[in-house]
Amino acid sequence: MSLYVYCLSDESDAAAFEGLAGVGGAAVRVLSLGRVAAVVSEFEDESVAVTGENVRAHNRVNSQLLAALTPLPFRFGTRAAASRLAEYVASNEEALVASLARVRGCVEMGVKIRDALEKAKGKRQKAKDESEETAGEDALGGSARGGSGTAFLLAKRREILGDESARLRAEELAAWLASGVAGAARESAVRVNPSDAIVVRAAHLVERARVEEYRGRVRSLSEERRGLQFLTSGPWPPYSFSDIERR
Amino acid sequence: MTDEVFGFDEDEELSLLETLDHVLEHGLVIAGEVTIAVADVDLIYLGLNLLLGSVETVNRVLGERERRAELLIGRAGAGGLDEGR
Repeated sequence: MSLYVYCLSDESDAAAFEGLAGVGGAAVRVLSLGRVAAVVSEFEDESVAVTGENVRAHNRVNSQLLAALTPLPFRFGTRAAASRLAEYVASNEEALVASLARVRGCVEMGVKIRDALEKAKGKRQKAKDESEETAGEDALGGSARGGSGTAFLLAKRREILGDESARLRAEELAAWLASGVAGAARESAVRVNPSDAIVVRAAHLVERARVEEYRGRVRSLSEERRGLQFLTSGPWPPYSFSDIERR
Repeated sequence: MTDEVFGFDEDEELSLLETLDHVLEHGLVIAGEVTIAVADVDLIYLGLNLLLGSVETVNRVLGERERRAELLIGRAGAGGLDEGR
């Protein structure tokens, strides 16, 4: 018999989970492990199916704790024997207590930015390039079609310059977002992906009392640049600020 | 969480994808103790394809929304798309 593990806390209240169904419909309980406690439920299978129901159950339990306190959430699918869980907590106790102190009183808010203008510009440029190449080939006649090395190199040059321009644009967006939420967010975890449609993915650790201020800042940013699409979400348990291995 | 997501809170699919992005990619990990199964295939490592799949769906949902908004604007005969919200 193993346990499905949702989160750790040093201030958890067993009554908060009374009657709450976890992954697989199992009852959720609190397991005291010294200075911290784990929120767990019984789990018998070898693996955890990634289904909407299970994913929602995992997040529902963590969100239940988030409603009043601050959990240190585990990744979806974490299950361990009680002895293994106790060993993990004992051998990482200092780091876990420090992580709990780091996120205490905070929630995670998410922002994804999709650069619709840059995407449209890329499409227009590609269509223009193709059109110019065809026109050039027609003007030179059929003999030039087989050896258009210059056209290839010119297209490659445009591709490299385009990549550089997309990178600079994405970095500028990330800096603009960081500056816009500065002060309202305690910490940030940001990923920039110039080649993706979603160019910036940011998670912000925000004090509960400042969530409305944070939302207002993000709303202002989205109104400032109409060519961008914002996908905003939260409050979440601090998933992006819990991993003690990466610190 | 669904009722607290703002921005795209009306879209259940996007809400689930956001939850997936959070719970599959981040959080505490006990080495060797995360085993998930997708379509009955056990995965000890949280494969990148899962996340790529969800990103593609986010793009699709956003793209559809963009097209719907453009259609609405076209019908109204005026600009002013409120991007992203």
